[in-house]
This record gives sequence, structure tokens and C-alpha cells, in this order.
Amino acid sequence: MNILSIINAAMPQLLYGAKLTVLYSIATIFFATIVGLIFALCKLSITASLRKIGESYVHLFRGLPLLVEIFYVYFALPMVLPLHRWFDPYFTPVAGILALTLNEGAYITEIIRAGVLSVPKGQTEAALSISMSKYQTMRYIILPQAFKRMIPPLMNQFIQTIKDTSLLSVISINELTRQGQIIISTTFESLQIWTAVAIIYLIVILSLTSISSYFERKYEITKR
Amino acid sequence: MKLQNGSNDMVVIKNLSKAFGDNVVLKDISISIKEGDVVVIIGASGSGKTTLIRCINGLEEVTSGDIYVRGVEVAHSKSDLIEMRKEIGMVFQHFNLFAHLTVLDNIMIGPTKVLKIKKEEAHKKALALLDQVGLSDKSGAYPDELSGGQQQRVAIARALAMGPRVMLFDEPTSALDPEMVGEVLSVMKQLAKEKITMIVVTHEMGFAKEVGDMVIFMDDGLIVEQGKPKEIFSHPKEERTKAFFNKIL
Repeated sequence: MNILSIINAAMPQLLYGAKLTVLYSIATIFFATIVGLIFALCKLSITASLRKIGESYVHLFRGLPLLVEIFYVYFALPMVLPLHRWFDPYFTPVAGILALTLNEGAYITEIIRAGVLSVPKGQTEAALSISMSKYQTMRYIILPQAFKRMIPPLMNQFIQTIKDTSLLSVISINELTRQGQIIISTTFESLQIWTAVAIIYLIVILSLTSISSYFERKYEITKR
Repeated sequence: MKLQNGSNDMVVIKNLSKAFGDNVVLKDISISIKEGDVVVIIGASGSGKTTLIRCINGLEEVTSGDIYVRGVEVAHSKSDLIEMRKEIGMVFQHFNLFAHLTVLDNIMIGPTKVLKIKKEEAHKKALALLDQVGLSDKSGAYPDELSGGQQQRVAIARALAMGPRVMLFDEPTSALDPEMVGEVLSVMKQLAKEKITMIVVTHEMGFAKEVGDMVIFMDDGLIVEQGKPKEIFSHPKEERTKAFFNKIL
């Protein structure tokens, strides 16, 4: 069999894996952004206890290897919380998305916090001086400016997220990397299959990169 | 909300002190400002002028003492701060225009989001204010497309859009190139003629002499001397005031 026919035969399975990779990435990015925004606002709060909560969250989930977090959520957590029964039969995908979300959310927390802090203090003072509440100041003045500065680091994190989904292969989620492993376990065509897997990852990530540069260009035009 | 007895002055400051940690920057300041007065605060850098006017609209928390705006105690009541700020406009040294909004939106965002005025009405008022500060042609521009003097005039319009009773100016011309100082001062002189109560921290002695009803000279967190501009500038009583004038005039 030549290389093309090997890849051709494996393609349906690989594309199925790629589809799962994209779906898990989208779900993780969605939830991790919400989690990140919540904990970023905690860390920026004037209430000490909220700040503590935000800091602890980041320390914990940024401080552990993602692989350990996946094992912990999948194997260790069910020993104390019957998650596997609550979410049966969807425990595996739930555990995968949960572990990824908690990890990526910690990084996104820091990205959002840095973005908010990068907006000069004078903007807040001017907003307060025209009688805006703290909420209005955040909503109308700070976040719109912070968001534009957050686009490049957020895109970076989203790309990282796509690559991190490959670790879900260890809890038998049939995403792209695991599909590659499965095919190779019967065909032993390492070179051809891993090459195909690598190219598919690159295609997925490069498409996200071009979406990202579209947004950066769009906001470059107004520069604000 | 504590009501002050007797006085109907616009702004009354009583025994105000302010410290940042161990650093005491305002020491037992008391001032009374009548409606329509233009009060100019002068003094060397670090004398506490800026901190004083930032205390008046609550951008700095006071350490002790009271501030009354139209008879309402505001220094210690957090809930009244937002209400009180509707009466007090502020113009900053570095303009602080909202960088992501056009000139028009900078002026309209307060009236529409805070005062809940209808868009069309706020729009009409914003255009009138832009006309007043001489920038009708810049309504669609973003702040970074304007010169410093233009930005500061927009900032004045933004503050006026809230319909304040008192305007605070924190060194409004200090960050400007010399040729742009005049255009900002002339807008301020116009406001003074319209009898808006103004408290101005500035190094522009010409402005103080021309439009000030009262000049306050501060040094090291204290009010050293206050009075009519004519008296202060021609016959300063205190040694520290004389020394300051010798240095700058």
C-alpha cells in the first residue's frame, strides 16, 4: 500500500476524530471563557474574600499538569462525588470538558485580568466622575477597551486549548490523537498516520489563526 | 445624609484632612465657596491642591473632616456619592477621554447611560455643547485624532453634559503645548461668565487674576493664604506666598 491509499483508508476515522477535537475545543473555549471572566472579576474585586477565591483557583489549576487534572477528574473525583452516576452515560465527555475547562479557565482568568488592568486608571476615574456606577464603568468603559487588547493572548490560549484536547485520548475520548493511535494499533503505519494527524491539526489551528487575524485586522482599522 | 445648618454656600469644606498612610497631604482644610464663584487654587507641586479637589467628588476618600455640596454631607456617605457626582463635573489634567468612543459618544454616554435621557435629546445637547467649545466639526472623531487642546475641550463638554452645579478643573492646561493653552482657557473664561461655580487648580496666574473671585494659596497641605486675586497677587501677607510668587513670576 502506498502512503496515499493508507491515509485514504484511514481518513473517515481521522475526520471523525477531527470533528470531536473541534467540538471539544469549542465547548472548552466557551465554558473556559465564562469561568475565566467570573474568576477574573473575583480577582479584580475590592472584596478580599473574592480575591482570595480567584487567586486560589488560578494557583490550583494552573499549578498542576493538565494530564494530572484529567486523571483526577476522571478517576479520583468519582471516589468522593458520584459524578459518573449523575452524568451517566455521558460521564467521559463531561469529565474531559470539565478538566480542560478548569485548566484553560485559569489561564483565561489571568488574560482577562491583565486586559482589564491594562486600561489606564484615568478611564475609570473619568467614568466615576460622570457619575457611573462601578458596574457601568466596567460594562461601558473598561471591558470594551480591555477586550481588544485581550484578542491576541486569548487566541493564543484557544490554540493551546485545541492542542490540549489531544490529552483526552488518555480517558478514551476518540478525538484525533486517539483515532491515530487506534488505527496504528492495527495497521502499524506510524509514519503515514501521524503525518496525516499532524496535517489535520495544522489545518484546524491555521483556520483559527486566520479567524484571529481577521478580528485583529477588524479592530486595527479603528485602532481602539 | 446629614444636612448642614445655616449656610447656603455651594461647597463647604470643614476641617478636612487626608493622609496616604503616614504621609499627611491635607491638614485641617476649611473653605466656603459661594454659588457662581470661581475659586483658583495655586501652589507648588506636592502642596495638596490636586488631592483637595479629588476629595470634593470622592475620587479620594477623606481621612477626617466634612465636605458639603449644596448643604449635603458627602465625604462619608458612599451611597450618596453617585448622586452627588451628578452635580459635580470634573476635568482632568490628562483629559481621560474614553479612548474607544467618538467625541459625540464621549459626551453622550453620561446623559444616556447615567441620567437615562433619551438619545435624540442627548444628541441635540451634545451638539450644542460641541458648538460651545468650538468643535462642531469633530463630532465623529476619536480622541487620539485630536490635539491636546481639542481633547481637553471635549472633556469640558463631557462634564457639562451632565448639567453640573460645580465644575472641578485639575490642572486642565498643564499637559498642553503652550499654543493650546489659550483655547482651553477661553472656554473656561466663558463658563466663568455664565456663573458656573468653578474650582480650578492651575499654574496659569493670568487666568487666576482675570477671572478668579478667590485665590487660595496652598503649601505643604495647608491653606497659607486666601483672598481676592488682587490682594493676594499685589500684597501677599505670608512669607511662603511671597517666596512662591518670587519663584514663578
